[in-house]
Amino acid sequence: MNGVRQGWLVAVREMRERSRSRGFRAGLALMLLVVVGMIVVPTMIDTGARAKDVGLTGAIPDELTRAISDQGEAVGTTVRMHRYDDVAAGEEAVREEDVDVLVVDAQRLEWRGKADDELRAVVTAGIQLVAVQERAAAAGIDPDDLLALVAPVPVDSVELGSVAGRNPDDELAAIAMTALLLVAIATYGNLVLTGVVEEKSSRVVEVLLARMPARSLLTGKVAGIGLLGFAQFAVTALAALVAITVVDSVDIPAVSGGVLAWVVVWFVLGYALYAMAYGALGSLASRTEDAQSVAGPVLYVLIGGYWASLVAVSSDPDSGWSQLLSLFPATAPLAMPGRLALGVAAWWEPVLAVVLAGLALVGLVVFAGRVYTGAILRTGPKVRLRDSWQRTTAPRLDTSEPGAPHLGSSPQAPVGKLGRRTTITRTSATSGRTIVILFLAVGLGAAVAVLGNDVVIGLAVGAAFFAVATRITKAWPDSSDRHMSHP
Amino acid sequence: MLEVEGGSKRFGDVAALDGCTFSAKPGRLTGFLGPNGAGKTTAMRAVFGLVELDAGIVRWRGVPIGAAQRARFGYMPEERGLYPRMKVRDQLIYLGRLCGRSSRDVRGLVDSWLERLGLADRKNAHLDDLSHGNQQRVQLIAALVNEPDLLVLDEPFSGLDPIAMGTMSELLAEVAAAGASVLFSSHQLDLVEDLCEDVVIIDHGRIALAGDLDELRTAVPHRFVDVHYRGAAVDWSALPSVELVESKDGEARLRVDRDADLAAVVAIARHTPDIISFTYQPPRLSELFRQAVAA
Repeated sequence: MNGVRQGWLVAVREMRERSRSRGFRAGLALMLLVVVGMIVVPTMIDTGARAKDVGLTGAIPDELTRAISDQGEAVGTTVRMHRYDDVAAGEEAVREEDVDVLVVDAQRLEWRGKADDELRAVVTAGIQLVAVQERAAAAGIDPDDLLALVAPVPVDSVELGSVAGRNPDDELAAIAMTALLLVAIATYGNLVLTGVVEEKSSRVVEVLLARMPARSLLTGKVAGIGLLGFAQFAVTALAALVAITVVDSVDIPAVSGGVLAWVVVWFVLGYALYAMAYGALGSLASRTEDAQSVAGPVLYVLIGGYWASLVAVSSDPDSGWSQLLSLFPATAPLAMPGRLALGVAAWWEPVLAVVLAGLALVGLVVFAGRVYTGAILRTGPKVRLRDSWQRTTAPRLDTSEPGAPHLGSSPQAPVGKLGRRTTITRTSATSGRTIVILFLAVGLGAAVAVLGNDVVIGLAVGAAFFAVATRITKAWPDSSDRHMSHP
Repeated sequence: MLEVEGGSKRFGDVAALDGCTFSAKPGRLTGFLGPNGAGKTTAMRAVFGLVELDAGIVRWRGVPIGAAQRARFGYMPEERGLYPRMKVRDQLIYLGRLCGRSSRDVRGLVDSWLERLGLADRKNAHLDDLSHGNQQRVQLIAALVNEPDLLVLDEPFSGLDPIAMGTMSELLAEVAAAGASVLFSSHQLDLVEDLCEDVVIIDHGRIALAGDLDELRTAVPHRFVDVHYRGAAVDWSALPSVELVESKDGEARLRVDRDADLAAVVAIARHTPDIISFTYQPPRLSELFRQAVAA
């Protein structure tokens, strides 16, 4: 029995058990509902707004109906015509919202409330055109000549965006993909974290590790949850694609297949890197309550990396900073896809970044396996990273109480005795720290706003820094946490 | 045969194992005894590589233990625990397959064990929906699911009611009779005395006493005579080569030399007016234990 096969069994178990759970199914259903809803609902509202109803009454030139329709078509609006016998019937229809506008004698437009500018332009242009044709005929000008004279000149409209050579669609796609990667890495990484802590707190881990190396267990867990997450994303993406096709929405982000393939690569690498770190740190906590604080550093690196990448890449994807961030393994998954979507990365850059990330992953697997082995059998308060590294796994030696062993899911009972923590009063120190952090956050936000010439990003960076920094200082290990379960 | 040779392990300033050497033989039950903190759990974990020894070696059939050997071991840790929200049968099959058994093999084994321990109708229940006793049974099956050649159990009897204890004893004896080495720790010395052929007594990380229990008992150079009688207190000092250990109304414990003439023992019986019970035996395990640990 080799470690790889055992790792695969672990992965299969993760996928089976998790996909069976009600929470997973409900989550997937909700995600599908939200994504499909986000695609379908706006188009339903849109199509309702796109077709306009125009009422006509009084003297109506022969050509008017067609002229208005043509004008509407030119700007992508379907215009439906309704004729009314008298003004009163037409106005009634306007009030009932059966029509958007009533054209009286081809001279007056009557609206229910404020005029719809686009529709007014369409109808007015139609009236003008018909009027000009009539006058031309009266003046003895051939209508065909006239039409040639007044034939519309096609005018294109181009969105320049902030940087030459790139269109705003690419920028939007880059930002959206990076955000999606962040969410995916954080979500599935967190599943690894809680999974590791659950195995430790339910004590099943000792049974497992008696049969397999820690590295296989951790790698298998990461792989299983990753595959499941990938499948979840794939299903959602497929549903989104189907929804887009069905409702025939044209707003598919302009992302090429090559870029999408890179996004998949970076999801795999980014998730694997962060999930390994999550798993290793998760082994330091004995209780699910401790899981988040023990894995805090991973989250800070992830969110910090995301903001740094966002700021660097969106301000100048060609800058040295952007390049550095897109090559450094911890930030590459967040910075490289954006640069790829914007088409600014040279061919060798993603290749080098993948190689670096792969090397980092190998190192992390070794590191995580060792931390995990050193910490997973230690219960009680949080284990410090350094202690886990020294591999002094001690059994708990205080279980002399009759009936102490408790099978199943009651981690609190045995841990409670050891998990007692002396809390020191640190309110004054904390509030002082908070003020310092607040000043730093304001300064940082202002600096970013000035440098990036974007107040929103400045505000966001400042707020993110404040949130992250306060969490770091809260989770700061104080000296009272240092006792362990040594005999 | 399982052999631990010179196993040492320190946790900070504390030596959990200190040159500890013992073995567990195939086909026999070995009781692993010692006060709390003596190093029992650490020694058992070392067998499974859960604790890396600072010095010393653990062998199975003469070979240092690796993954291949562990696939043929069964282990029930002191801290019981399986996946609480996983179905009983599923997780037993999973644990069996982790030992490298084929899925069909494991299924058959799991089903027969579930049947045998009366859990067949609960096999699709989640573990945490089972009663405490049933959870203990599942934990036991988890240790047996790969038909182990070596079964190591850390405090298998703690928390069991007398009936479950009986079942557990029978089962362990059966596993040993089928040829496996069975090593388990316990504080219930009388139970160990009844059940085990061999004992290992550990104290402060060192082996204080180890070997065949009957041999260990008979090797002690004295025997005890316990007398229970009616009537007035007896004056034992009149008897030659008999030493009074303790006496209270109606009961007395006397020590005689192992090689003493049986006549001395008979003399005790003669000396006692109205005997209710009379036993002549080597020291019990509990006495060996106290002596070994106190030394």
